[in-house]
Amino acid sequence: MAKRKSLIKIKPKSYKDGEVVKVSFMVMHPMETGLRKDKKTKELIPAEYIKKVVFEYKGKVITTMNVWETLSVNPVFTTYMKIDGAGELKVIFTDSKGEVQETVAKIKPKG
Amino acid sequence: MQRRDFLRNLGVGAAGAVILPSVSFAADAPKPKGSNVLSYKDALKAVTGGKTAEVSAKVNLKVPEIAENGAVVPVTVEIDYPMTDSNYVKAIHVLTEKNANSRCIDVHLSPANGKAMLATRVKLGETQEIVAIAELSNGTFLMASQSVKVTIGGCG
Amino acid sequence: MKKGMQIVLCVTLLSSLTFASEQFAMSDADRAMYEELLENNPADMMLAEGSEFLDELGGESALAKYLGVSEDALPSYIAGFPRYIEKFKMVVSIDQMLQGMMHDSGQKPYALKSSEMFNMSSYVKALANDEEINIDVNANKHMKEAYALGKVVFETKRGARGLSCLSCHNPSVIGGILRTQPLPDISAKGNASAATWPAYRMTKSALATLQKRFQGCMNNALLAVIPLGSKEMTALEVYFTDEAKGATIALPGLKR
Repeated sequence: MAKRKSLIKIKPKSYKDGEVVKVSFMVMHPMETGLRKDKKTKELIPAEYIKKVVFEYKGKVITTMNVWETLSVNPVFTTYMKIDGAGELKVIFTDSKGEVQETVAKIKPKG
Repeated sequence: MQRRDFLRNLGVGAAGAVILPSVSFAADAPKPKGSNVLSYKDALKAVTGGKTAEVSAKVNLKVPEIAENGAVVPVTVEIDYPMTDSNYVKAIHVLTEKNANSRCIDVHLSPANGKAMLATRVKLGETQEIVAIAELSNGTFLMASQSVKVTIGGCG
Repeated sequence: MKKGMQIVLCVTLLSSLTFASEQFAMSDADRAMYEELLENNPADMMLAEGSEFLDELGGESALAKYLGVSEDALPSYIAGFPRYIEKFKMVVSIDQMLQGMMHDSGQKPYALKSSEMFNMSSYVKALANDEEINIDVNANKHMKEAYALGKVVFETKRGARGLSCLSCHNPSVIGGILRTQPLPDISAKGNASAATWPAYRMTKSALATLQKRFQGCMNNALLAVIPLGSKEMTALEVYFTDEAKGATIALPGLKR
């Protein structure tokens, strides 16, 4: 399966060590509930939704989210994180069909 | 006269339309249910393990009073509480009162988050309460709730 | 008889409008919350994909070259679409221009209604972010004709309810609430639709262009839907864009 388009955004764009910043992860995912019918075939569309999102900063898990099908299509997850040196921020999601995908952002504090 | 006949036919048609689906429902499978059916009561128990969650102003839940669209309802939860190694918000849970599956998201935090906040977007099937629960490192639970009116609005 | 019917329907429409003080109107706090959603607009991902599609064609430098402008002048040039382009001998929107570019570089053009084209054309229009819309409807006779036709399309009452675009977007009803949503002023004085579309449509969980939105509106108002990229549709975009002239482009938008 082709990689789903995803994005990590850090706000503000420029930050210092020790600063608490807003981090958002979004991904193009249908978040199918399993209750929707295909308009043409009238068949139920099988459930397919993100179950878990893990934020890993410099190899350490800082936030784990358990997610259900009740979140919106193309979901967005925003939380805070404290900047603690340069390194990678990885966001890994797992969906109900077992698909796992990783998105990486470089954390580069200024000063 | 012809017009009246037309109306009468329409009336019969409309009545028929009301009866038919209920018959076919009775014969067929019941209304489809998702794989995760969980009532608000059960979800609350799953989150708190039966402990009481106290309503608190420390849980700052922000949702629109009127949702522009039930498919994308913004929810922001911010907890006014320290995030130190010994005293912090362990998790934020978002539940809904009337969705077939009451659970939306659990966010397990750590002091490395610096601040306890979650923002996301949920689906709401109808007008109902959204509930946010904060789980603290000392084992207690705080909560807040707010009603969101879901309307079918606008042009398409 | 038909005329009388139209008047009745028009009055029905007007009486279903309420004004902003009504209880179902959104509060300012709610509106602010929805505006905050722009910070994390799912359409950003779609535009990122569109950027990759453009890269396959050689990126912005290739686009500037294709349009015969310098790369520096590209954003301002994009802010003037729809334009009359000599090599096509017609007034085109960005999507059709990109179809031409794909064709000329030996690729099979994306269909106008495809998500690939929505993503790429939206990305290209967003290159003009922070520029003011500078369409020139008097640039030549083709643009003049397109504007005149667009105005006719905007004002012509059609369909079972006898509605035109103007029925809901005229000064006497703008701001009125139709099923919880205020009827927008499409001009630069209002929400300047042409500067905020393409946008992520929350009701559809998808990116839509201005022309696609027109189709949705026509469909709901029971007007026969005009095809994307047709002379009339492009003309309507010209008219809308001219109404929003001077407004600063801010894309992608985020709409209910």
